[in-house]
Amino acid sequence: MPVDALFQIAEPGQAESKEACKGRAVGIDLGTTNSLVAVVKAGQPTCLRDASGALLPSVVNYAVDGSVAVGRRAREAAVSAPRDTIASVKRFMGRGPADAEATRKLTPYRFAESGGNDAVVRFLVAGGTRTVTPMEVSAEILRVLRVRAEAALGGELDGVVITVPAYFDDGQRQATRDAGRLAGMEVMRLLNEPTAAALAYGLDKRAAGTFAVFDLGGGTFDISILKLEGGVFEVKSTGGDSALGGDDFDRAVAAHLLRCMGLPEDAGGDARLARGVLDAARAAREELTQAEEATVTVELSPGKSWSGPLARAEVEALVRPVLERCAGPVKRALRDAGLEPAQLSGVILVGGATRMPIVRRFVADLFGREPLGDIDPDEVVALGAAIQADLLAGGGRDDVVLMDVVPLSLGLEMMGGVTEKLIYRNTTVPCGAVQTFTTYADNQTGFDLHVVQGEREMVADCRSLARFKLGGIPPMTAGMARLQVRFTVDADGILSVSAREERTGKEASIRVKPSYGLGDDEVERMIRDSFEHADDDLGARLLAVERVEADRILNATRAALAASADLLQPGEREAIEAGMAALDTARAGTDHLAVRAAVAALDEASKEFARRRMNVALGESVRGQALDTVEKKVTGK
Amino acid sequence: MICWSCQKAAGEGVLCAACGAVQPPDSKADYFQVFGIPEVYALDEAGLEQRYKELTKLLHPDRFARADPRARRASLERSVQLNEAWRTLKDPIRRAEYMLLLAGIDIGEMAGTGRQPADHVTLPVPPVLLMEVMELREALAAAHAAKDVHETEALIAKVQSRLKTVVEDVAKGFAASPPELSFVAARLVGVRYYRRFLDEARLLWEQEGAGPGKDHSHAG
Repeated sequence: MPVDALFQIAEPGQAESKEACKGRAVGIDLGTTNSLVAVVKAGQPTCLRDASGALLPSVVNYAVDGSVAVGRRAREAAVSAPRDTIASVKRFMGRGPADAEATRKLTPYRFAESGGNDAVVRFLVAGGTRTVTPMEVSAEILRVLRVRAEAALGGELDGVVITVPAYFDDGQRQATRDAGRLAGMEVMRLLNEPTAAALAYGLDKRAAGTFAVFDLGGGTFDISILKLEGGVFEVKSTGGDSALGGDDFDRAVAAHLLRCMGLPEDAGGDARLARGVLDAARAAREELTQAEEATVTVELSPGKSWSGPLARAEVEALVRPVLERCAGPVKRALRDAGLEPAQLSGVILVGGATRMPIVRRFVADLFGREPLGDIDPDEVVALGAAIQADLLAGGGRDDVVLMDVVPLSLGLEMMGGVTEKLIYRNTTVPCGAVQTFTTYADNQTGFDLHVVQGEREMVADCRSLARFKLGGIPPMTAGMARLQVRFTVDADGILSVSAREERTGKEASIRVKPSYGLGDDEVERMIRDSFEHADDDLGARLLAVERVEADRILNATRAALAASADLLQPGEREAIEAGMAALDTARAGTDHLAVRAAVAALDEASKEFARRRMNVALGESVRGQALDTVEKKVTGK
Repeated sequence: MICWSCQKAAGEGVLCAACGAVQPPDSKADYFQVFGIPEVYALDEAGLEQRYKELTKLLHPDRFARADPRARRASLERSVQLNEAWRTLKDPIRRAEYMLLLAGIDIGEMAGTGRQPADHVTLPVPPVLLMEVMELREALAAAHAAKDVHETEALIAKVQSRLKTVVEDVAKGFAASPPELSFVAARLVGVRYYRRFLDEARLLWEQEGAGPGKDHSHAG
């Protein structure tokens, strides 16, 4: 298959063979707030860092000039260009415009008007000149991590494991996998974040027993109950809320700050102010993890700012109602696992928000025990993902296996808008189910199938995943045609659906229209574009670098000619000036290699002249020493 | 069976006897055959779990992430079959329903397995049972309206004890010689109503007991 369909209709497991492993498989935690990449080196999982550490802020800035910045630089740009800077993009993954609408309050983003039945959120960025989907934004983050990993490991990556919240539905998983593909990665597996954390604890700390993983990230909350025994990591149950996290704490605090300033809670639609208040809220919340009181400063307009004190107790009062939304999913997950809190061996904390003392107290109260926190809650998921990547790439350890579950039930719409569940939540993956349907009208030649995910009885309350049309059935009396629908959920938790008419045995045609996410054509176009743009982007960057170099050497040479004309040999000026003219011409073109060659030619033509200048300037004592470095200084290289 | 990989006789195991390649599942195998155990109701649950985990370690798709596409497909299909077999056999009620289905008695509970023997018998639901469930539902609705968590819990406990009795009766029915399948079937007919009741009751209980958690969109 050239490109996986958002819903694979082909039989699963037939994708092209993966290349033999060369030992460069990494795990990526694609987080709401921060993203990380980790790898197993000499049996130990380690996070890969750059100069500013392991955490890459999951922020992408699209500047008006077409450039894209990711991470800290993007976060800094958010202050001046809030509409062009996408933070917390994970909240929009696999979500439709209607879902985006719900989070629109106090988001600084502009959304492109969706034309017709467009089911994908599109951000309007780069000063309104460009639209990007959440998958493309995530792919920018993944590309930076890919570059970091390739630099650290000295070559192209063989495969990645990307983590997703356990409670991500099918559309959100599809979107994550698409983002990986857009970033040019082979996504070996999507791994649930709590399971990744348990893997990091289980293998590192040699834990055994039944554990609860309480994962409160920037934008999602997951609870998983796992049994660890003899190398088997068995997820008993999982639950959560894919729209609950530290972001919501920040929103609650930001709304309070705005009230203190006497401003409306949506910041009156002022994107800059909204971004500023949210950033101030986050900073204050982080500071108050340690401190009892903080001073908050928010810039209202250039040169005018608001400042006020904020106590930890105030923040705790604001976040408590949000935090309490975690209690329901925890109770349900325990019940689904058939356990009482006292039967657990431990509670593992994951996610930056679990650093807050109030969260730790809340978890301790909920489970009746102090939670474990010996692995950095920011890094533990990436470390677990690296272990899984290593396992998948054949890094030994054939005694370890992960058994994960479907987070939300999967079913079909029946007559009257009622859901018929084929696969129940917390069923171990991979799993499958088959259901047979018959025609209800004479000479009916097709079926309309609507695939949904969720726990509710009525289809309208569940998430719509896909609509199928199965046509080409020969006319028969009602009830004669028998349609066998097969659901298969693979180890990534992604659903494939196939359908076949039994009685005729004929190949019936199937058409899939994903309700959320992108159509196949669009994914292909985006992959093509990203490759093309990748070339464009790279070419443009290299050209820019060479042009800077050209300007330096031209200026330096001009200055040298003016200052030391007396040191020129006969004919030397002409040769140097010819080199300068050639470089000027190359610089005006778009071929970075031509610029580089012209720089080298001018360098060569002026080399002797530069040496003489240096000798005169420095005198005999240093002659012959560190010539290269000094020379570079003189020529401005 | 001829192995897809080495073209030699693969034998009966999950892996080829000659080359060790994972073999596609036999779609006609029943769930007892999947585990290689005799079709007996009173099975050793701990032993079954151990066997399940051993087979999972052999067959899980993670083992074949970079293998030949045919091996990956065989691993996926076999894992799907194994997980379904485990889910069915580990639960005393599902196991009983499945054994009745193998005997040609369909009590309408095996949806999703695609198993519908040609000569299956579908049992009617006794009116007494329907009356009882209706009364239970009314009591539940009243308890919820009154926000009476204790009453909801009492109703849940009542239905759970009904289910426990059903499990005991079913075990007795299968233990009899010859097994009293029609007795077992009659006891199982009501289970789906009890289960549905429990699903609803627990949902309401969560809403009553979970405080502000009740209104989030994913309430199950």
